[in-house]
Amino acid sequence: MNARLFSVVLAVVTPALAWGQLDAGASEPASSLASELDLAATSATPSTTAAAAPVSPLVRAFQSMNPDLSVIVDATAGYATAASYSVAGDDPELRGGPAEHPAGITVQEAEVAFQAVVDPYFRADVFLTIPNLSGIEVEEAVVTTTSLPANLQVKAGVFRSAFGRQNGQHLHLQDFTRRPLINEAYLGVDGLRPPGVQLSWLVPTPFFLQLSGEVFSAAPPDSTEHLATFGGGKRTDLTSTLELKSFFSLSDSVSLSAGLNAAFGVTAGITAADGALQRAGARTYLEAADVYLKYKPPNVTGSYFSLAWTTEFFIRHVAATQDGEAVLHDGGLYTQLVAQLARSWFLGVREDVLGLPSSALQARVTRTSVSLTWVFSEFARLRVHGEREARPTAGDGLFGGPGTLAAYLQLEVTIGAHGAHPF
Amino acid sequence: MTRLLTVAALLLSSLAFADEPVLVVTSIETFADFARSVGGDKVQVESLSHGYQDPHFVEAKPNLMLVLNRADLLIRVGLDLEIGWLPPLVLGSRNDKLHAGQPGDLDASTLIEPLDLPLTKVDRAQGDIHPMGNPHYWLPPVNAVRIARGIADRLGQLRPADKAYFDARFAAFLADLKLRAVKWDAAAKSLNGVKVVTYHKSWSYVSKWLKLDEQGYIENKPGIAPSPDHLAQLIVSMKAAGVKKIIVEDFYNRSIAEEVAAHTGATLVSAPSDVGAKSDIKTYPQLVDALLAGLTK
Repeated sequence: MNARLFSVVLAVVTPALAWGQLDAGASEPASSLASELDLAATSATPSTTAAAAPVSPLVRAFQSMNPDLSVIVDATAGYATAASYSVAGDDPELRGGPAEHPAGITVQEAEVAFQAVVDPYFRADVFLTIPNLSGIEVEEAVVTTTSLPANLQVKAGVFRSAFGRQNGQHLHLQDFTRRPLINEAYLGVDGLRPPGVQLSWLVPTPFFLQLSGEVFSAAPPDSTEHLATFGGGKRTDLTSTLELKSFFSLSDSVSLSAGLNAAFGVTAGITAADGALQRAGARTYLEAADVYLKYKPPNVTGSYFSLAWTTEFFIRHVAATQDGEAVLHDGGLYTQLVAQLARSWFLGVREDVLGLPSSALQARVTRTSVSLTWVFSEFARLRVHGEREARPTAGDGLFGGPGTLAAYLQLEVTIGAHGAHPF
Repeated sequence: MTRLLTVAALLLSSLAFADEPVLVVTSIETFADFARSVGGDKVQVESLSHGYQDPHFVEAKPNLMLVLNRADLLIRVGLDLEIGWLPPLVLGSRNDKLHAGQPGDLDASTLIEPLDLPLTKVDRAQGDIHPMGNPHYWLPPVNAVRIARGIADRLGQLRPADKAYFDARFAAFLADLKLRAVKWDAAAKSLNGVKVVTYHKSWSYVSKWLKLDEQGYIENKPGIAPSPDHLAQLIVSMKAAGVKKIIVEDFYNRSIAEEVAAHTGATLVSAPSDVGAKSDIKTYPQLVDALLAGLTK
C-alpha cells in the first residue's frame, strides 16, 4: 500500500520537478546531456493529457470557434484595342475609355472566405465574391462531409464543379489574369457553379483515382448572346456531371494529373441574327479531357526552375429541337505552359482556341496570352498580362484574322488565414 | 450456439487486429525514424515528405491522400509548419481517424516547449512567421526524447496490448541516445558561444541546446527574399562581430549565402535538418552526428 502511494506521489511530482529543473537550469551551468535526457523521458506526456502538457510562458493560441477569415483582392488596370469576344465573371471589366477602346482600373475581384470545421461530420467553406464591384455573389457555400465510410465524400450547397481543371479553381489560383475562353463559352460566365450535390469516391487503387458525380440546378443565363450549354429547360431539368481524376507521381520531380469529364443538361438557346432563339430546350452533352504535367524538383538547391503544362479540351453536342435539324458539334481547347524562372518570377504562355471544331452556334475565336508574374511573398503578387484575340474566318487559317490587343496589370493580395489548396 | 459463434468470431477478429501493425504516417522523416525506433515490428511507417525537402513547401500531391487514407496514426510537426499542404491532404484522405484531437492525430509540438513565441501581436510585415512558436524543434536530443516518449505513449494508447513493448523500445531508444550523449556533449562544449548567422530562423532550438550565438539571419523576414540593403548591413555586422559560420539547411538555394560567405570570409555550413537529408542519414542519431560534424568542422 505504501509502495503504491509512493508511486502515485512520484508520478505527480516527478514531471513538475523535471520542468522546474529544466527552467532553473537556464541560468546555471548545463548538466550533462544524458541526465537531461533522463529528465525529458520522465516529463514527456502525450498530448491528450492536456493538464500535463508543458507550460509555456504565453497561452499557445487563442482558441476560437470563429471560422478562418480571409480576403483576396485583385486590383487590375487594363487597356484593349477593342472589346473582347466575351468577358468572364471574374475577368477584369474595363469600363473607362471609349467603347471602341476599353480601358480603366477596376477591382477585378474581392473574395471573402469563411472556412471552418462544423462538427465531427462536416466542414463548411463559404466564399463570397464581388467581381468588378458589381454586387456580392456567393461563389461557393459548400458543406463537405468528413466522416463517411467507404472512402465516400459528399459536397452540398453551391460549389465549383469538379468538371475539368480550371473550373474548380478560384481566380487567385489562375496563372493568367483572364480565364480560358472555353470555360466561359461552355460552362458559363461564372463557370459551372450552380447549387447542387456531389458524391465522390476515392477508388482504392494503388494510384490516386477519384470518381465523382454531381447534380446541379443550373439557372438560365443572363444573356443568350452566346449559347449557354446548361441552364435551359424546365426547373426540373437538372445538369449532371461525371468526373474521373487520376494522379501519378512519376518521380520526385515529375507529376502527372489527368481527368475525363462528362456533363449533361439542357440549353436555353442562342439568339440568332434575326432575333429568334435557336435550340432553346435542346439536350446538351459536354465531354472534356484535361492533363496537367508538372516538373518541380523537390528542393531548390540546384535552381528555382519549374515547369507546368496544362491542357483542357472540351467538345459539345447540341441535340436537335425540330425535325430536320442536325445534331451540332463544337468544341475548343487551351494549352498553357508556366515556367518558374527564379525565386520570384513566373512566365506563362497560353493559347486558346474556341470553335475547334466550330459550328453554327460557336464560331472560331483564338487568343494568345502571355503573363509575367512577380511574387513578392506568399501573399502578394504583381502580374503583367498581354493578349491578342482574333476571330478568324474561312481562309484565315487557325490563328489568322484581324486581332485585338489587350494588356492588364494585376495586383493580388491575400490577408487573413486562407485555407491551403489541393494540387 | 449462435452466441458461442459470435464470441469466437469476435475473438478471432480481435486477434487479427492485434497482429496487424499500426499504420503510422508522419509529416517529416525524423518522426518516421522515431516511430520505427519505438514501434519496432508493431508499426508500419511512411513519411509524407523527404528530408531533402523544405517542410514548409511540400507539394500536396494527391497520391499522399492514399497514404493518409490507410493510416491509423498521423504524427505531424504542428505550429503551422505544414499549414500550406497537410490540411487538404487530410480532408482528401477521407480518414476521420486523423481529425484533430482524435487518437490518430498526434501534434508533436504539444510534447515540447515552443520557442520564439511572439510577445506582441504579429503581422505578415514581419514575414511568414509562426504565431504559435517556432516549429523547427525536433533536432535537440531532449526534444527527440520527449517526442519519442509521446509517440510510444500514443502507440500504447492505440494498441494497449503492446504498451509494454513500446515502453521497452522507448527505453532502448533512450539508452542509445544516452550512450551517444557523451560524444554529443563534447561537440556541444566546443560550439558554446560560437557566433553564427543562419539562412532561415529555424535553428533556435539547436542554438539553445548548443549555446550558439545567433547574430542574424540572411532571410531577415522569414520566407521573403532578402533585400540587397539587408545583405549589405548583415555583411558589415558579421565582419564587426567576427561571425565565422553561416548555417543553411541543405534544401535551400545556397547562392545568396555563398555571396555573404565570400564577402565575410565565413564558412558555409550546409546543415541537414531532417533524417533523409542525405542518403547516408537514415536515423536520428546519424542526423545529429552529421549536424555536429558540420558545425564543428
